[in-house]
Amino acid sequence: MSPEVHVPGWEWYYVAMYFFIGGVSAGAYFIGTLAELFGGERHREISRTGFYIAFPLILLTPPLLIADLGRPARFWHLLFHAKSGFPYINLQSPLSVGSWALLLFGGMAFLSFLDNLVSEGKLQSAPFAKAYSRIPRKWYAVVGSIAGFFVAGYTGVILNVTARPFWAATDPLVGALFVASGASTGAAAIYLVMTWRKQLADPGLPGFDLFDRLAKLLELFLAVAMVVLAGKYAAPLMKGFTAVMFWGGAVLLGTLLPLVAGWYVTRTAESRIPAERLAAVLAILVLVGGALLRISMVHAGQVQ
Amino acid sequence: MPKGMFVDTSICTGCKACQVACKEWNALPHEPGHFRFDPVEKRPVAVNFTGDSYDNTGALGATDWRHVRFIEQFSEDRSLGRWLFSSDSCKHCNDAGCLNACPTGAIVRTDLGNVFIRQEVCIGCKYCIPSCPYGVISLSEVTGTVHKCTLCNDRIHNGLGTACAKACPTGSISYGEVAELRSAADKRLAQLKGLGYGEANIYGYKEAGGLNVFYLFLDRPQVYGQLEAVVVPQKRLPVSSAVTIAGALALGGAALVSFRERGSMEKDEEVEK
Repeated sequence: MSPEVHVPGWEWYYVAMYFFIGGVSAGAYFIGTLAELFGGERHREISRTGFYIAFPLILLTPPLLIADLGRPARFWHLLFHAKSGFPYINLQSPLSVGSWALLLFGGMAFLSFLDNLVSEGKLQSAPFAKAYSRIPRKWYAVVGSIAGFFVAGYTGVILNVTARPFWAATDPLVGALFVASGASTGAAAIYLVMTWRKQLADPGLPGFDLFDRLAKLLELFLAVAMVVLAGKYAAPLMKGFTAVMFWGGAVLLGTLLPLVAGWYVTRTAESRIPAERLAAVLAILVLVGGALLRISMVHAGQVQ
Repeated sequence: MPKGMFVDTSICTGCKACQVACKEWNALPHEPGHFRFDPVEKRPVAVNFTGDSYDNTGALGATDWRHVRFIEQFSEDRSLGRWLFSSDSCKHCNDAGCLNACPTGAIVRTDLGNVFIRQEVCIGCKYCIPSCPYGVISLSEVTGTVHKCTLCNDRIHNGLGTACAKACPTGSISYGEVAELRSAADKRLAQLKGLGYGEANIYGYKEAGGLNVFYLFLDRPQVYGQLEAVVVPQKRLPVSSAVTIAGALALGGAALVSFRERGSMEKDEEVEK
């Protein structure tokens, strides 16, 4: 007889979906920034696409988070102390720090989104467009990326820093796993948009492909390492529908298959760029796999 | 000066007066009925029994702030038997996982050392629930906030003891200054050891920074459903954060290799042409 640590009862359609969408948004954003910082003009289209994706997606997340609260109308207590009204942060609580990181990330993603519109001339008539373009783009992209890495990763740290057996046993790898998954799903979202906009001949794609593969390799390694580390506590991940979601969905279809298929296509085809349809299908698989990863991880920790 | 409770399980009789007193003072709703009329069978049928000795709640929860455990120990041939009782509650840890995890400052420690949830501040994010290693806090669907034992916050700040200690007919639960309770506990432990209870031990001096509500057990803590090695979850936060940052740095490195190498390689190719 040992005390049963209570389950929080976080719903997959709120909390796990937030983990997923926040990860895609943050991943697309930091890929956009890294491509611009390290890759220069050749990768401009990739970073532009990343910035276009990040802001609308992160806008979807606060309603998900707030809907899971027992008292949704009090969500502002996360940022401001309910008694004093002053900004409040609890550095020991990843949930508290994460709320601020999400706010910061949303702000920077908004600036980058505006910057895209301005530089493409879609916001020319707006009176602030001229003044706005004087703010150095890279500064807020770097700040936003650091916040973005935080948004992608703290959701895993939230799970690890609890007393629930499965989440505690997978400590300290879930944060890094979610960051890697954020990168791979963010890349998939960029791919999907670029496919849709018929930009598959973009000169930045070869480098982008390599980054994508490295991120997937890291994700695979961390997923397997996490299960090995957890040992007998990984049992909830090994049976029933959770096992299908994790191993079949997140690992096999969402990571391994796209990795192998992408590599195979670039090796065999005349062009280094995969066919449009295949690229879209693989990107969708990666995104579904990323969602299943979050759902299975949130669920496995809450099995009684 | 921190206040707390000492629960001497060696003189507990399992009467559940503490459970009742707690419910009454804190106006907690009653348990669901134990019998329900079955329309098919046309007679009352038993429901809501735990099947675990006289245990009627099974665990601590949003409306059960005290939980009396019943531990039946029998030898194989049932010639020897022992019935152990232990009244469990929030331990008001000095390093409290729930308080550390709370993102809104709803969970506070008062001047008397008790850990208290301010109901008007709690947003129901539920993060404190898995952060308590003892499974104490639970969400109430009625209020949308979390609840647990307050150490009778209203009573103790007005010079009274806790309701459970007041109601306890054997003196098994005593309320007072933690330091005084500890010296009483040590004396009682020495007495029991002298009487031949070799396994007797005190639980709560070291665990989670010291528990303000601590116990004297006649058997190993695990027998009473308490953790023998308690890790306050936030102790793992630095390493967990560091590994996550390392993951982010690895991706940064991957980006540096991918975006820069490919760029320069192809530039070289262009130059050769």
